[in-house]
Amino acid sequence: MFAEQAAPTAQGLLAPPSAEPPTFPRVAVSGYSDCSQPFQLGERSFARQYAHIYAVRLASMRPSLERRARSRWGNDIVVRRLSELQEGEECCVVGTLFKAMQLQPSILQEISEEHNLVPQPPLPKYIQPSDELMLEDELQRIKLEGAIDVQRLVTGTIVAVYGCEQDDGRFLVKDHCFTDLPPPLPWSGPSSDRFVLLASGLGLGSVSGEALLSTQLLVDVVTGQLGAEGEQSCAAHITRVILAGNLLSQNTQSRDTLNKAKYLTKKTQAASVEAVKVLDEILLQLCTSVPVDVMPGEFDPTNYTLPQQPLHRCMLPLASAYATLRLVTNPYQASLDGVRFLGTSGQNISDIFKYSSMDDYLEILEWTLLAGHISPTAPDTLGCYPFYKSDPFILTECPHVYFCGNAPHFQSKLLQGKEGRRVLLVTVPDFSATQTACLVNLRDLSCQPITFSSFGADSED
Amino acid sequence: MADELYLENIDEFVTDHNRVVTYKWLSYTLGVHVNQAKQMLYDYVERRRKENSGAQLHVTYLVAGNLLQNGHVCHKVAVVREDKLEAMKSKLSTIASVHVYSIQKALLKDSSPLYNTDYDIVKTNLQHCSKFSAIRCAAAVPRTPPDAPRAPAPARSPQRQRDPDATAGTVNGHGPRAAKPPPQQHKGIMGMFAAKAAARPQDTPKEAKAEAKEAPGVSAASSKPPTKNSIMNNFFGKAAMNKLKANSVPEQPKEEKEVVKPSVAVAEPESSPNTVAEKPGKKTESDRIQQKDKKSKTKRADRSDDEEERDPENVKKKRKRIKQLLSDSSDEEDVPPSPTPEEERAPSPLPEPALKTELEPASTEVSAGGRKRKRKRVLKSKMFIDEEEGCMVTEKVYESESCTDSEDEFPKPKAPAPQKQPLLPTKREPKEERKNPKKGAAPVNRANKQVSIMGFCQKK
Repeated sequence: MFAEQAAPTAQGLLAPPSAEPPTFPRVAVSGYSDCSQPFQLGERSFARQYAHIYAVRLASMRPSLERRARSRWGNDIVVRRLSELQEGEECCVVGTLFKAMQLQPSILQEISEEHNLVPQPPLPKYIQPSDELMLEDELQRIKLEGAIDVQRLVTGTIVAVYGCEQDDGRFLVKDHCFTDLPPPLPWSGPSSDRFVLLASGLGLGSVSGEALLSTQLLVDVVTGQLGAEGEQSCAAHITRVILAGNLLSQNTQSRDTLNKAKYLTKKTQAASVEAVKVLDEILLQLCTSVPVDVMPGEFDPTNYTLPQQPLHRCMLPLASAYATLRLVTNPYQASLDGVRFLGTSGQNISDIFKYSSMDDYLEILEWTLLAGHISPTAPDTLGCYPFYKSDPFILTECPHVYFCGNAPHFQSKLLQGKEGRRVLLVTVPDFSATQTACLVNLRDLSCQPITFSSFGADSED
Repeated sequence: MADELYLENIDEFVTDHNRVVTYKWLSYTLGVHVNQAKQMLYDYVERRRKENSGAQLHVTYLVAGNLLQNGHVCHKVAVVREDKLEAMKSKLSTIASVHVYSIQKALLKDSSPLYNTDYDIVKTNLQHCSKFSAIRCAAAVPRTPPDAPRAPAPARSPQRQRDPDATAGTVNGHGPRAAKPPPQQHKGIMGMFAAKAAARPQDTPKEAKAEAKEAPGVSAASSKPPTKNSIMNNFFGKAAMNKLKANSVPEQPKEEKEVVKPSVAVAEPESSPNTVAEKPGKKTESDRIQQKDKKSKTKRADRSDDEEERDPENVKKKRKRIKQLLSDSSDEEDVPPSPTPEEERAPSPLPEPALKTELEPASTEVSAGGRKRKRKRVLKSKMFIDEEEGCMVTEKVYESESCTDSEDEFPKPKAPAPQKQPLLPTKREPKEERKNPKKGAAPVNRANKQVSIMGFCQKK
């Protein structure tokens, strides 16, 4: 999208200095509102059990699932609770899925002395053919079999199944459905080109420095230093930069205090200290030119459980002096120029990836949208705050742009739903590995990756 | 000509200084727009090549454009060496921009010198890094000072923080907290105080201030006393605080002589202006809190009492501690002015250790010569039988005890252990002495004295 507009003046700077070169004003932010209040935790209390979050999840999603079931299988179907099931009767049941997985890491098994087990090393996927699916509602649970893909589904999804109970106590599924796309939001996007840059996985503080120049190039393109005039004027249409997590690299995680003797590690500073300083300088350069939203990720210094709270601004003294810096939660939801963005730093998608047969991040992203829940595997295998009043991860409104960070590569898809719904699904790649970021055009919900490269010792293109 | 000056400059940088001249570096050095810098570089290259075709110049270019990759159109931005320029240009389906990125004498093996040059020049110009950029953002204005975090150190003077009012506090409660556990503990204890909410916003500015002043490795103690001070600020007016400040100023030099952590010393001065009398409720709570703490809290409790008493009365008043501690209900009324100067008393137990340093100078002033024997307040459990209820009651009360010189040393091992007692015990000793000014030797003096052998024969 840049190239076509910029092409005419591409070679303009291959010339002697001309008169005063133009400066382009950054496109002003018109209409930004932060909608991520449900993800902001105030006082936190961990005295509750996690059963409440499942109860709330089921109670909130049951009505929409029943509606969907009726629209799919007919208005006259019988919706039953598990306790009211009669053998042989065809009915619909709404409940939470539970997948019993043999390979699922269990802390109880690990520390149990009678098993004498060596802790299981982390595997890329924990699925096995012997996994079983169970449906649970408020009171009971029942084993499922039939037309339901056990490998594909994950624990915590709210599903409606249609079938009948058999004499051996299992439920034979003839069909199942999810809650499908949530209700749409009105579209009031901009009429001219406006871009939002999505980047994730900057990976600062890593041992290797190859991605550093690419990060610098990214900052320079956005702040309008790089490129000929045409490209700079296009870059002036970037209204916002969203950094979706993993600003620090995984290498900054520990001082290796567990394995090394104390006298070796006592005076060493955590690698994240230096990395955060570098991050501060990069953010300062960005903030002086464009509004930036910073989401924390898996390796960033904030809490581990979802929803991750914003990074504290005392860590970024230089950059937080500017009002253009916004430290936001993970997941993050906001309305930019009338376009609703919703996204995470990728922990939810990668967790589903581990426990499901789905391999494609974009496919998983789409599936979570259709299942109506950002992260069904929380709190089972993904850390989550013990909510009890409401589950903020349930999708109540359909976003216009739904993204996830730290994906292995860039993918995007424009989903067209009924009632004119359009959702742009974007998997933002890990910048430290791919040197690629995404540019989303708010006018027509198109997305283009932007790649940076420099020359290395091997000097291949 | 002025126009040609830049050519000479570039020439000088590249050939004489053997620098890697990137467009960004040139832009900051010459103070020109980035596009002009790019054009200048190009002009220089062209002219040099025309004059002298064997010129030792290596150029890198930036190429940007559309590229078909993996089935979708990708915008590629690449820094390439001159020899690869045409190859890259041919790969791109549409070229968005081409310009000179850098000029250097030597052939670059990889791009790290480019990165380093840019990084260095940006680092030295961080405050106006978008000055020569082609895009101006109207929204990027620094936040107004009251909102802005107190980031870069305001003058880290060892002198105390002056004015409590100068605290342009961040109201959000996002004060920088150097040490986590102490502030959390602090919060836990402060949670018992009635007027916590008001204190909190003030805490933060105080903490921020204190921490800005203190050494980077700010200790827990430092964070606590400032917090304490701000809480105290809530309850006392400016007048009292100014008075306190005046009083504590002369003590400052003494404090600094102390063999204490510098951060604590800084904290001390800060706490002194802020210590003021406390509401009865607060004192009650601090009493209770003190009674809960064992070991090193003894002296802090004493101090706390003193502080609380202090403000309503004259700063220099002294009071009887024992009475205060025993009577939970009536705090201030019971306590007659104590003889020791109490300027630097923080209300809560937490700042007490810090305060003790201040007390030391105070006691130095008060106590005459080196006294070997001091009275000390010790937390003891007293058990007695309550006839009415028919049960045994164990109460922890403070008792005055005399102790020898070398008792100073004993609390020291205990000091590192508790989180709340980051201060050296020497500080506490002075506090004790302060309470018994007639008997105590100056802590400062004591710190310099040799440990007496009599320390092994401790009088209990």
